Amino acid sequence: MRRPFSKRGAVTAGTATAVALALAACSSGSSSSPSAASSSASSAASGSSQVVHLTITDWDNGMPAVVSAWNASHPDIQVQLIKPSGTGYTLYNKLITDNRAGTNPDISEVEYQALPEMVANKVAISLNKYLPNLSQSYPSSVTSLVQFQGQTYGVAQNICPMVFFYRKDVFAKLGLKPPTTWAQYATDAAAIHKANQKEYLGNFDAADPEWFAGLAQQAGANWWTASGNTWSVAINDAATQKVANYWQGLVNSGAISPEPSWSTQWLTDMNKGNVVGWLSAQWAPNQFPTIAPSTAGQWVAAPLPAWTAGDSTVGTWGGEAEIVTASSKHPQQAAEFINWMNDSQQGLNLLIKNVSVFPAATFAQSSPELQTPPPFMSDQPGYNTLMASVAKGVRDFQIWGPDASVTFSSYSDAFASALQNHTSFTAALGKVQSATVSDMKNTGFQVTG
Amino acid sequence: MPIAGRKKRSSKLPVVLVAPALVLLALFTFAPAGYAVYLSLMKLHVTGGLLGTSSTQVFAGLSNYADTFHDPEFWHSLGRMLLIAVIGVPSTVILATVFALCLDANAARLTTVTRLAIFLPYAVPGVIASILWGFLYLPATSPIGGSVFSYFGNRAIFFTVANVAVWGVVGFNTVVLYTALRALPRDVRQAAEIDGASELQIALHVKLPQIAPAIAMIALFSVIGALQLFNEPTALKPLTNAITSTWVPLMRVYSDAFVNNNIYGGAASAFTLLVMTVALTLGGGAVATRVIGRQGK
Repeated sequence: MRRPFSKRGAVTAGTATAVALALAACSSGSSSSPSAASSSASSAASGSSQVVHLTITDWDNGMPAVVSAWNASHPDIQVQLIKPSGTGYTLYNKLITDNRAGTNPDISEVEYQALPEMVANKVAISLNKYLPNLSQSYPSSVTSLVQFQGQTYGVAQNICPMVFFYRKDVFAKLGLKPPTTWAQYATDAAAIHKANQKEYLGNFDAADPEWFAGLAQQAGANWWTASGNTWSVAINDAATQKVANYWQGLVNSGAISPEPSWSTQWLTDMNKGNVVGWLSAQWAPNQFPTIAPSTAGQWVAAPLPAWTAGDSTVGTWGGEAEIVTASSKHPQQAAEFINWMNDSQQGLNLLIKNVSVFPAATFAQSSPELQTPPPFMSDQPGYNTLMASVAKGVRDFQIWGPDASVTFSSYSDAFASALQNHTSFTAALGKVQSATVSDMKNTGFQVTG
Repeated sequence: MPIAGRKKRSSKLPVVLVAPALVLLALFTFAPAGYAVYLSLMKLHVTGGLLGTSSTQVFAGLSNYADTFHDPEFWHSLGRMLLIAVIGVPSTVILATVFALCLDANAARLTTVTRLAIFLPYAVPGVIASILWGFLYLPATSPIGGSVFSYFGNRAIFFTVANVAVWGVVGFNTVVLYTALRALPRDVRQAAEIDGASELQIALHVKLPQIAPAIAMIALFSVIGALQLFNEPTALKPLTNAITSTWVPLMRVYSDAFVNNNIYGGAASAFTLLVMTVALTLGGGAVATRVIGRQGK
């Protein structure tokens, strides 16, 4: 997700510097200076034209260590990391605009929900020619996020199942257990707000469409489906309406805060202890140190509440792949780099250490590196074991739409207005649906219904 | 012969003098506007494959304009902008006039410091001002009762946004009016003083009519400023559900072009707005000229 990931970058700084220092012991000593030395050595030996220079945009803060490790071991393919001016859609919109001028970097980070849009705008190129064996490391649920109509457009990096975080001190004081069902979540929310009118178990996030999409995925929604060359769009399907109605009930009862995540109000409430739970995802521990530093040690992760007790289905919030852009003059080398980073034990170990990812590649999900919990969750040693187990229940949409940015901005507007004016959430869903469909039709996509 | 030659030369001179301005105007105003008009008549059309393996820019006729006019949200955003203008423009003009008259009063002391203090907000960038005020409004951080009174309520939001904008521009307008006041000939007011007119009477009946042209001018600038409202609501948007991405027309243009990646639709709403703004400015300018002209007599 844009903000989680953008924040993740900033927040991981603490984590990253700590780990990077550790890594620097083995990497910077043997990476940055030798990489410069060895690249100049190799260019002297084999002629400077042999060295291929690549650029990558990525906003995650731990990335320099990963890139310099590659540069150290690959003197002929030198990668330069560029920090984008903005994260998420700020970057994607820039990629789409710059693509017309052919000035994109060779490689970019793109979240799954934006990948079809990158393909539709011809920013991302097919990797089939360069990485024919790509899908072997990934479960089909991940492959379907990066492969459309037989063409693979990105190398998947991580998966981010949704997880419920709660304040154990507050729950213990009120004698509550972490809710396993949504019905219980509602009861707990009411109990917490009743015990202290200032406290909320969570918030409804009108600013972050992907949060809501993740909840809808769990309920069985399929906002976009593709059959042949034809799309069908069902953002206001029964499953999504169920989720919307559930949250409307909670918001109307006053037991849930209407402030979006990462808003100043929410950040203050989290840090002061007024918001005592967060429906978030795998990456949350990297965010917590800046969101709620004064509550460290009180947060516990638990599986997301289910619609029916015992159902382990869960949606995702965030997750990214790396793409090779149409502007790249060295797609083969660019593909090799992202394949190493996201689909090799060495690359993924570096990502786990420096960027705290939970890898999408199946073989890496049992890496020894995952035995240690993220620093913020040091009281919960089994944090990554929990991630591995909830990751088994991940359910995504069949495909994200080719104009998801329209859907997302429409969601933010429609739900913010619904919260502000106390109007119906299902009517808001209807607006998102019609905005999406009309944009797709207007652009010339085949849409049924 | 010499006379004819002089005539010829003098007939070319105005053209030469005006040419640079015209060339610049054509290059940097009409050319981009023309390109925007061209874009507004186009649209992207994808064909082939699920994700559109080929896409072309095709002629769309006036369909982008039709979309803009048929979108109720466009009219709502115009309405919101006008509402803020109705609150903000008179407040700016009245406050600036009152401040300037006070500063110019004979009894006024510490005018340099006061003038600077009034002017200072103008030096604060609009985005910073919005964030600053945002924290004053937000319940979590408000020292001015944001937890009791909702500054982001459905009605309050218009005053909230207008307040940030007015706070930023009153100082500048005050200085403009104050300068106009200082430039007035002293004899009339001295005559009034000798006749026994009070400070208030002088302000209302002597100074005010004399600076009416300047007031008309700042009113016109304030109207144009209100039509360009963008920074304040955009900077306040992350703080509240009350402001959407299409809250005022310029936010909508930005959102169309750079969030929804529809530069064609964005160009159409931008051009529509441009026409409305120019019409309003010319209309306002005509009224102002009449006021000034009447004053001249």
